[in-house]
Order: sequence, then structure tokens, then C-alpha cells
Amino acid sequence: MVLRIAFRNIFRQKRRTILTALAMIVGFTLSSVFIGWSDGAYGDIITMFTRNRIGHIQVHRQGYLDKPSLYKTISDYTAVGEAIQTIAGVEAWTPRVFGAGLGSVDERSTTVQIVGVDPVREIETTRFDKKVIEGRTLGDTPSHDIVIGKGLAKTLSATLGSEMVLFSQGADGSIANDVYTIVGILESGDDATDRVTCYLNLEDAQELLVLNGRIHEIVLTVSKINQVPKITKAIETRLNDSTLHVAPWQEVAKSFYRAMQSDKQGDAIGRIVIMLIVAIGVLNTVLMSVLERTREYGVLKAVGTKPTQIFRLVLSEVAIISLGSICVGALLGVLANHLLSIYGITLPEEFTYGGVKFQTMYAEVNARSLIIPAITVLLSALVVGLFPAIKAARILPAKAMRTH
Amino acid sequence: MNLAEKSDVIVTDGVTKVYAADGIPVNALCGIDLAIRQGEFTALMGPSGSGKTTLLNIVSGLDDPTEGNVWLAGKIISDMSGNELSDFRRDNIGFIFQAYNLIPVLTVEENVEYIMLLQGVPKAERHDRVASILEAVGLKGLADRNPPQLSGGQQRVAIARAMVSQPAIILADEPTANLDSKTGADLLAIMNRLNVETGMTFVFSTHDPMVRESARRLITLRDGQIDTDETKCSG
Repeated sequence: MVLRIAFRNIFRQKRRTILTALAMIVGFTLSSVFIGWSDGAYGDIITMFTRNRIGHIQVHRQGYLDKPSLYKTISDYTAVGEAIQTIAGVEAWTPRVFGAGLGSVDERSTTVQIVGVDPVREIETTRFDKKVIEGRTLGDTPSHDIVIGKGLAKTLSATLGSEMVLFSQGADGSIANDVYTIVGILESGDDATDRVTCYLNLEDAQELLVLNGRIHEIVLTVSKINQVPKITKAIETRLNDSTLHVAPWQEVAKSFYRAMQSDKQGDAIGRIVIMLIVAIGVLNTVLMSVLERTREYGVLKAVGTKPTQIFRLVLSEVAIISLGSICVGALLGVLANHLLSIYGITLPEEFTYGGVKFQTMYAEVNARSLIIPAITVLLSALVVGLFPAIKAARILPAKAMRTH
Repeated sequence: MNLAEKSDVIVTDGVTKVYAADGIPVNALCGIDLAIRQGEFTALMGPSGSGKTTLLNIVSGLDDPTEGNVWLAGKIISDMSGNELSDFRRDNIGFIFQAYNLIPVLTVEENVEYIMLLQGVPKAERHDRVASILEAVGLKGLADRNPPQLSGGQQRVAIARAMVSQPAIILADEPTANLDSKTGADLLAIMNRLNVETGMTFVFSTHDPMVRESARRLITLRDGQIDTDETKCSG
């Protein structure tokens, strides 16, 4: 009967119920779009950042990530890569070597980062070829070709076909130097990287740096990014090598990950503000409703309704309106996020996040964008409903029945 | 404890009620000592403001006395918790209010049935008892109406609601005040009959001479004190 009274009370003051529900529906939908949008945008950023550059998981010699060194290498990288490839969920892997040096084209020189890549595997793993904006990518075999970053080409006034001399230090302590032909100019999306980086065929780089078949890094991608922690553990188990360090992308790109988490916390504050607005609206209308029906609560108590039942009655009304609003809000939230996931929103100017350029942002339809607003709306409505419910439950019947 | 086993169902001891009206204390009741026995048909008389409604509210636990104690069925009601008092009212007291005080979102049948639902009476029994009491108060066939649709019939619903659970005590605050004389007389006859047949205790606050005629005990209040307390000779 308490539920029946609660349900009928909701339809007694239709305008007030609609206003309360509207506050909840708008709050839910805004919160849902906020989360869907945020998840979609961060999802895109993470995908671009990992797929284009660092991969989802990396393997190094222990200590390399904290303090990179020419000498911290992996010897039998093919065996390591093949072992990784057999793990379910791993899509592709590619080896890399790194070295620092001086690059010169004609009279111009600058410091460079030398990256040796296996062109075939790098294309499979990080779509290396798609980033080449002029010329061509590196050949499958070592041929003293070099691809340089767009910014580096500008610094050195280098063009396709120019000869570039690299000076570095070999792993054996010798002075390393050689001449390479610029066959491509690359734009990774990270201007800072493109100002200093040049790419060689893996074998050319190993020869220059006297690494004798050794590499510094294995980058791998997985089919589902949410499986990264599980696959990281699986790789550690499979390799069972204490000299190797398996790191997920969150560890590889610590500062990027931390910046993103901070941004997400900022989003949470936005959501809290939205829900506070909802809560104040709900408190106002529920309190009004209780005050208007003080006499009725007095009568209900007079005929034997327990204070706890009155308390439940008020909260039931709030819960019924909340659940109805959540259903409507969920429909609107899914619809809005679905449309935004297809059409996105194109910003007037592109922006760079984590070194990756973006202009169109897409939302995502996911469970989080429904569950979090649902819990928040229901909880905030019930919490603000507590005060009026307690007030109604503690009413002194005789005093309540004297009100009009 | 079964109320029917006790001779005095309501006892007040030095009950005083002081209201603060705009910060000025007003004595609504001053040291009321009263005992109502089981099966009595009692009328509380007196001019407006003499304390009749306040006394009814206090003896039923709807309001708290400023001083003094009230025993209902041998229990001091100020010792009861909120839930205990609600249960006690639900099971032992029926109320009839001058302003009806029906629940507007419930139908006539649901209003009458409400207390039995709180008591956990089985559905079939509830249905039978509601049908029977509605017939007794002249509302047969009107069970599905909403109270505001019953012109002049709302007090009948209130009486049916008060009596359907067969409480030991019926407290009625000006029950005939808003009724025409014929309806008032009909309802009074119903209550009189129930009093005689079931031994229910009735306490009315009233100005109505008709109620005064029917009552077998007349208590007159004046300025918050008992002025006279007369019991009519039976027969």
C-alpha cells in the first residue's frame, strides 16, 4: 500500500513531478554525454598515441626505461618476439634500436635521435608507412636509405635525395659514421619528435651502432586495449626472464598517462557540479511536496502508519521518479552518444594532446556512460530525499493535522 | 495485554498542555485526571477552546502532554517509541476527525482497508470486512469512488475506516459537525449500535445536542479543566 500511495502521489502534482524528473533527466543525459564524450576522446587519443607510436606493450632490458643506454640490449630478439606472438590477443610486434648522434646535410648539422626499425614489422605494428608524407618508406633490406622527420628536414634544409651524414658512438666504443640517402619525410603527429628523429633500416642502424644483431626495444600491439594488463602478465610468464622488463603503455608513457588521469579528474568535478544542480532541484521539489502534505502524513501516522513506513513512502516516491528519469535519460544519453560517435564534433582548430594532433572528437557508447549517471542520479536523489523523509517520519500527528 | 480485560481503558493523571502562541504560553489543559472505562459512550462537551480536541489528541498519543501521564490499556504512552505508539494506535484506536482526513489518492475501499493492510489482515477477510462496514454506513456500491466524489459521504468513510478494524476505543472529534442532521443521526445510531453490540469504547468531543442526548457519560470542560462529569442512569 505504501508503494501504491507513493505511485499515486507522483501523479497528483504532475507539473512538479515533471519538473523533478526533468532535472534528473537533464542531469543524467548531460552526465552520460560528458562521460561518453570524455571516454570517446580519450579512447581516440590513447588509440592514436599507442597505435602510431609506442604500441600497447614494450619489452626492454631491465632498467632501460628508467635510464636508456646503448648498452642495455636484448640479444635474441627474434626468439623473444616469436614467443610473444604466440600469446592470445597479441596482434603484431616490431624491434627497434635507438642511438643519439649528429646529423649533417651539406653545411647544416643538428643533434638527432637515430631509430632503427624493421620496415615490414613496423608497418604492421605502428602503420609506419602512413606517416611518410613525402617520398617513400624504408626498403625491406638494408640499403643506406633514411627517412627523416618533417621538422628535422626543415632544420637541415634537406630534401628527398639529399645525402645525410650521421655521426654517433658504436657500442664497441668506436666512432660511428656513415652516409645515407633521404628517401622519405615523415610526420608522426608529434612535432617535437619530428624535429630530431631519423629512421634507418634495423640492420643499417645495428651496423652503424655496432650492435651485432641486438636491439633495445620490442613494441607490440594487442587486439583489445582493455586486455593490456592481462597480456602484460601473460608475456612476463611466458618469457620468464628476470633480465627483461615488460611494460604496459601506461608505464612507458607515464607523463602522458598522468596528464590524462588529471584531465579525467577534472571531468569528474564537472560531473559533480551537474549532479549538485540536480540534487538541489530534487531537494527543492521533494521538500515542497512533503511540506504540502504534512497534514496527510499526520493522518497516516494517526491511523497507525509507523514512522519508518512514512520514511519509506517519501523515499519510494523519490526512487520511482528517479528510476523513471534514469530510463528516459539512458535513452537520450545512448542516442546522443551514438550520434556523436558517428558524426563527432569538428573543432575550429586542431589541437595536440600527447604529441598527437586532433581536430574531430568522437563520443563512445559504453556501460560506464550509463552506470555512473544512474548511480549518481539515484544516490543524489535519495540522499537529498533523506531530509524531507526524516522530517515527514518525525511529524507529530496532532501538529501536522493542524496545518493546511 | 488485552484491553477488554481492563476496566479503565484510558486514564489520565494530571495532564497539562501548554501551547506557546506567539511566545505567550496558553494553558490548553490544566491537570486533567480522568478514567474512561471499557464500553463507555462518552461525550466531551464545552465551549470552543475549552481543550476537548487537545485532550483527545493527548489521550491517543497524537500530541504530547506538557505535564502528566496517560495510560492506555495500562501502558504509559510517553514510554512507547514512535513505532510502538503507531502499532498501538493501529491495533487499539479508531479515529474520526471533524475534517474527515481521508487519503485523497486512495479510493473509498482503499481508505477503509488501509489499517487492516497495516495489520496484515488476509485479503479475503479485508474484502469481506470492508464490504460489510460500507454497507453498515450506507456506502454500499461506492467502494471504487474517490473520497472527494462523495458529497456528504466522506464522514461515513471516516467512520467506516475507524471501525473496520474493530478497535477497542473510538475517539471522535466533532464527528457530526459537518453533517446534516439526518446523516448525523444515522451515523450516531450506527455508533450507538456498535457500542452496545461490541462493547467498543467511544469518546466524542462535540457541541452537537444530538450526541449529548446519545451519550451515557457527559464530561464538560471549561478553560482546560473538568467542570462537570455526569453519568446518566441506564434505562
